[in-house]
Amino acid sequence: MKKNSNLIELVNIETVYEGERLPVIYDVNLKVEPGEFISIIGPNGAGKTTLLETINGLLTYSKGKGFVFGKEIKKHKSEIRKEIGYVIQNFEMDPLAPFLCKDIVMSGRTGKIGTFRFARKKDWDKVWYSMGLVGMIDFANRPIGKLSGGEFQKILLSRALAQNPKLLLLDEPFSNLDYASRKQVETLLNRIHEKNNITILIVSHDLNFVPSRCKRIIVLEHGKIIMDGSREKILKSEIINSIFNGNGGKI
Amino acid sequence: MIDFPSTLLITSILGALLAGFACSTTGAFVVRMNLSSIGYLMSHAAFAGAAFGLMISIDPIIGAIFFSFGISLVLGPLAEKARLESNIVIGFLFSFMIALAFIFLNFIPGTAASARALRILWGSIFSVSTTDLFLLSIFSFIIIVFVVIFYKELIAIMFNRKLAESSGVNTRLYYFAVLFLTGIAVSLSIRIVGGLLVFALIINPTSTAYQFFFDFKKIFIFSPIIGIVSCLVGFWLSLISDFPIGASIVLISAIVFTIAIIFSPKRKKGKSKIKKVLA
Repeated sequence: MKKNSNLIELVNIETVYEGERLPVIYDVNLKVEPGEFISIIGPNGAGKTTLLETINGLLTYSKGKGFVFGKEIKKHKSEIRKEIGYVIQNFEMDPLAPFLCKDIVMSGRTGKIGTFRFARKKDWDKVWYSMGLVGMIDFANRPIGKLSGGEFQKILLSRALAQNPKLLLLDEPFSNLDYASRKQVETLLNRIHEKNNITILIVSHDLNFVPSRCKRIIVLEHGKIIMDGSREKILKSEIINSIFNGNGGKI
Repeated sequence: MIDFPSTLLITSILGALLAGFACSTTGAFVVRMNLSSIGYLMSHAAFAGAAFGLMISIDPIIGAIFFSFGISLVLGPLAEKARLESNIVIGFLFSFMIALAFIFLNFIPGTAASARALRILWGSIFSVSTTDLFLLSIFSFIIIVFVVIFYKELIAIMFNRKLAESSGVNTRLYYFAVLFLTGIAVSLSIRIVGGLLVFALIINPTSTAYQFFFDFKKIFIFSPIIGIVSCLVGFWLSLISDFPIGASIVLISAIVFTIAIIFSPKRKKGKSKIKKVLA
């Protein structure tokens, strides 16, 4: 157990995929304090998803030391994951998939409820609360495959929130969404951050959608953090302009 | 229709009922996890096992069960270790098992014994023993307990394995368990339905249930019901028509599946209400 105030602390982290020689991310040093709202931006293949999955232990780092909630990630993987809500990049859902939205949201609590235990009333209360928070309570008994991209994204978000997480990791939550849905999800993230004071790390390739409450931006390129600073400083920097290269705000 | 002693008839009916239950319950996972070719693998593992049994002069069924148990144990870890899709590993093991079977068959003296091994592929319900019934009953009980206790974990994994893992579920363990249970379901049902047709009993009832329900709970309930009904009706068809039992069961389950596809509410086009409003 490491005693400090950081919620996440990564020291010289390097993550290599099995069978690969070159690390996807390397020399990553990162400190995140409780309650922070951070955007991680970078081009495709920069290692953004790898960074998120190194934090929640889905990928094992090959070098350095990583701590989440003061616990070493490698040793306390499953314990840590119960407190981390993760929303993966929008994926294709079979329209005939036999799952109801409420069951998917409940599945976020699986680890928290624990093996050999059944969902109780308080677990369902949490499900209804988080579905209400994202405005999807009317969709509880709808099949998951029938949702639009934005609705599906909100269900995944509500699934992560049902976990009652201390930390929320979001991988491209705005991808495949139209402008209106993006705005909705952005407003939602701001509200969740304000209301629940959760630490949020969001991976995005679109600078136009850095939520307004997000005060810190980290720029990742070729597996390395090249910039880390306040929103104002990063957005005004020359490097960002050169990376974006007048590409409509998209990397 | 031929007259059978009632005890033989009851044993056979129970056998059909339990095999229908065991295969179609595990089928609920197999269909969702895209593991449909596991049926081919297990049946050919059983075939190789039966050939091996005959080669070393033991009961071919013991060899069959031994081989399919073994395969179901190594399948999951092998797919993980090789970092390959389960279906690829299934394909690899499938051809390997056939190769073994032919080698074993080569060493069996006389064609009569080879025919005994081949019988594993066709199945015969009247060869069902009380031991088979006992084993199938225990297995059915285990699978019910497994589904009830680990329902939430199974739903999480079947929705998305990575998300399940990220919420603190040890997905590998459940994945192996599903592969293992399917392997056992196949090896225990093989004497009844036959190796070549057993996978139809795994896939057809669940696929039928999929046509009607969006709630996985209902699929878990209706898949075995459809499986049991298919087995019983197939058994009856076999008695009155003299069709082989496995073929009759598969024929019925295929007919049920076809009807389900035609009448599936999931595939019907929604009727527009706009016109009514405008009118």
